[in-house]
Amino acid sequence: MTHVKEQTGTSITLTGIAASGGIGGGRAWVLPTSSTTVKPEKISHDDAKKELAKLDAAVKHVISEFDHLKSISKDDEVNQILDTQIQVLYDPQLLEDIHIKISKQLFGAEYAIFESFNKYIELLDESGVDWAKERMIDIVSIRDQLIKTIKNNGEELLIAENSVIFAHDVSPTEIIQLSRQNISGLVMQKGGLTSHAVILAQSLNIPCVISADWTMHDPEGFTMVLMDGDSGEIILNPSNDEKSLFDKRKTEQEEIRAETMIWAAKPDQTNCGSSFTIQANIEFLNELPRLKTHGAKGVGLLRTETILFQSKNFDVDNQIEFYRSVMDAADNKTVTIRLFDAGGDKLLDDYEAEANPFLGWRGIRMLLDKPDLLDQQLEAILRVSGDYPGKLKILVPMVSRLEEIDEIKQAIHRVERLLEIKNITFDKSIPLGIMIEVPSIALMAEHAAEKVDFFSIGTNDLTQYTLAVDRGNEHISKLYEPLSPAVWKLIAMTKSGADKAGIPVAVCGEMASRPELAACFLGMGITELSMTTNSIPGVKAILCNSSKSELKNLAEIILSINETHLINLHLKEWMQSKG
Amino acid sequence: MLTKKVAILNESGLHARPSSELVKVASKFKSDFFIEMYGYRINGKSILGIMTLAAEHGAEMELIVEGPDEEDAMREISQLIENKFVTE
Repeated sequence: MTHVKEQTGTSITLTGIAASGGIGGGRAWVLPTSSTTVKPEKISHDDAKKELAKLDAAVKHVISEFDHLKSISKDDEVNQILDTQIQVLYDPQLLEDIHIKISKQLFGAEYAIFESFNKYIELLDESGVDWAKERMIDIVSIRDQLIKTIKNNGEELLIAENSVIFAHDVSPTEIIQLSRQNISGLVMQKGGLTSHAVILAQSLNIPCVISADWTMHDPEGFTMVLMDGDSGEIILNPSNDEKSLFDKRKTEQEEIRAETMIWAAKPDQTNCGSSFTIQANIEFLNELPRLKTHGAKGVGLLRTETILFQSKNFDVDNQIEFYRSVMDAADNKTVTIRLFDAGGDKLLDDYEAEANPFLGWRGIRMLLDKPDLLDQQLEAILRVSGDYPGKLKILVPMVSRLEEIDEIKQAIHRVERLLEIKNITFDKSIPLGIMIEVPSIALMAEHAAEKVDFFSIGTNDLTQYTLAVDRGNEHISKLYEPLSPAVWKLIAMTKSGADKAGIPVAVCGEMASRPELAACFLGMGITELSMTTNSIPGVKAILCNSSKSELKNLAEIILSINETHLINLHLKEWMQSKG
Repeated sequence: MLTKKVAILNESGLHARPSSELVKVASKFKSDFFIEMYGYRINGKSILGIMTLAAEHGAEMELIVEGPDEEDAMREISQLIENKFVTE
C-alpha cells in the first residue's frame, strides 16, 4: 500500500539519460502497466457499507477527472470520447452489478469493480467488431483508474496534469494521450535516445529522462518530485535547497533559450556569407506556429504516421486538410512529405508483432503491399500540390533496393493518370526523393541518385542499421553511436553519389540538431538540414558564427579519424573553441 | 408498457458514438428502457450493455419502454434510431 512519507525525510536522487530538455516538477504519477489483476478478497457484512462508500468516492473522483479533462480539451472528437467514458461511470447496470458483488456476495470493492467490468470487456472482446476492440482499451483504463483510486484511498487528485509521469516504457499512442493532459515531465525506465517516444517528447516539449531505474522506489509515495531533462537528474522528495536549485536552473534554461532565440530571425548564412537552409521536422499541427518563431525555412520532414495514430480516419480528405494546414504554415516555403513510415517501433494497431520489427515490414515495404493506403496518400499529396506548385516534395522511407524506387514511381504515375482523367490539376514535376537510412542504399547512392530528385539522410536508422544496434534496447544503448566513423563514411558516400548525379542531399535525422554535427555536415557541403524546431536557434547560433573554410576544415578532420572516441573528443574541443 | 421493433440503419452500426447518443436520450426519461436482441435483454440506459450488443448495420431489435413518460420516451428513442443517431 502506498503511503505518503514525511516530507521532512531525506531526498533520493536518481540519474538517467537526459532525453528531452526542460525542468519538470510536481506530484509523481506512475503509469499503470496494462495488466492489472485483483485477487478476490472477502469482506464481512459490516464492511460492506465501507466498501460501497469507497466505490462511490472512487466513481465520483474519476468522473471529476474526466470532467476536468473535458474542460481543458478543445477537440470535439476528444470530448466525444470523454463523454462516452463518463457515461460508463454512470452506467446503471454496471453500478448495480458492482453493488451486488459487494453487498450480497461480500467481495471487496476492488474485486467487485474488476469482475463487473471484466464481464463487459469479455463480451466486447468476443463481439468480433472492429470498433469494440478500441473501446475495450478505454473501458479497461476506466476500470484500472477506479481500482487505482481506491488503492490510493482516493485522497489526492491523481490526474496526470502537472505531474511527472513515471513509466517503464511509453508507447507513441500513450505519449500523445499524456501530452493532452499537460504533463510536467516524463521518466522512463527503458528507452533509447532516438526511440519514437523520445522524439515525440521532444517535439511536444515534454521534459524527459530515460534509462532511469526508479522502480526500486515508490515515486507516488512522495508529495513532490523534480526532474531535469537536460542533466538526467531526478529527485524524489527534494529538500528546499534542491527545490530552489531547480527553480534557478529553470530560470537559467529559459534565459538561454531566450538568448538563442535571437538567432531564429537571422538569415541562414555563415559569417562569410555562405548560405545554408534549416528546415523543421514536423509531426503535429501544434508544432506549426514554431516554424515562424524558431526560424525554420519550411518543413524538411513532415512525418505522416501520426495521422494514422491519432485517428483511424486517414482518408484522402482528412489528409488533404492536414497537408494544407502545413503548407499554409510553411508560408510559401517548401514542404517535404514523408510517406507513412509505420512499422519498427511505430506500430499500427492492427499490425502483428514481429520478431524483428526494425528489419521487418515497414516504410516502403509495407506501402507497396498496401496499394490502397499508398494511393490514398499519393492522391492527397498530389491534389494539394496543384495549389502549391514547386513547393511540395515526396520522400520515400526505408528504401533498401533500387527496384523499390521504380515501383514507387509506377504508383505515382498510376495516381497521376487517375487525376488526369478526373481533370484535377497537380504539380506534374513534383520532386521525388528517398530516405538514406539503410546501408544497402547508401552503398548504392551513386546509382540511386540517377533515379531520384533528392536524398534525405535519416541518421537514426542509418546508425542502428550500420552498427547493428537496436536503438531502443537499453542493454546496448551505449553502443548506439551516431558518431561512429562507419556512419560518417556512409554519409560521405551518399554525398558523393548525389554530387555525381547533381542532386541535393539533406540530413533530417537527430544528428542535424546537434550544432557541432550540423557544422560537420555543412563542412561536407550538405547545406540542407532539418531538425526539431526547438533545436533550430541553437544550431543556427553556431553555424552563423562560423566560416565556410572553418567548417570544411572541421569536416575533413572528422572524416579522417577512425575511432569514435577521438571524433567525440575533437568535436568537444571544437565546440569549446566556439565558446 | 410499449414495445416496438426497429432496425439499425446507420452504416457503421451501433458503435460507441451512437450508443452514447442513445443513452443520453434514454436517460432523460423516468421510464425504464430495455433492448432485446437475439433473446438477450439489456438495460437501454447502460452504455456498456448497448455496446456489448455490437449491433451492426441492419440488425433488428425490440425496444421496451415502461413508466410514467413511456410514450414520449418511445417516440424520441425510435426517432433517434430512425435518424441514424444524428441529433441535430
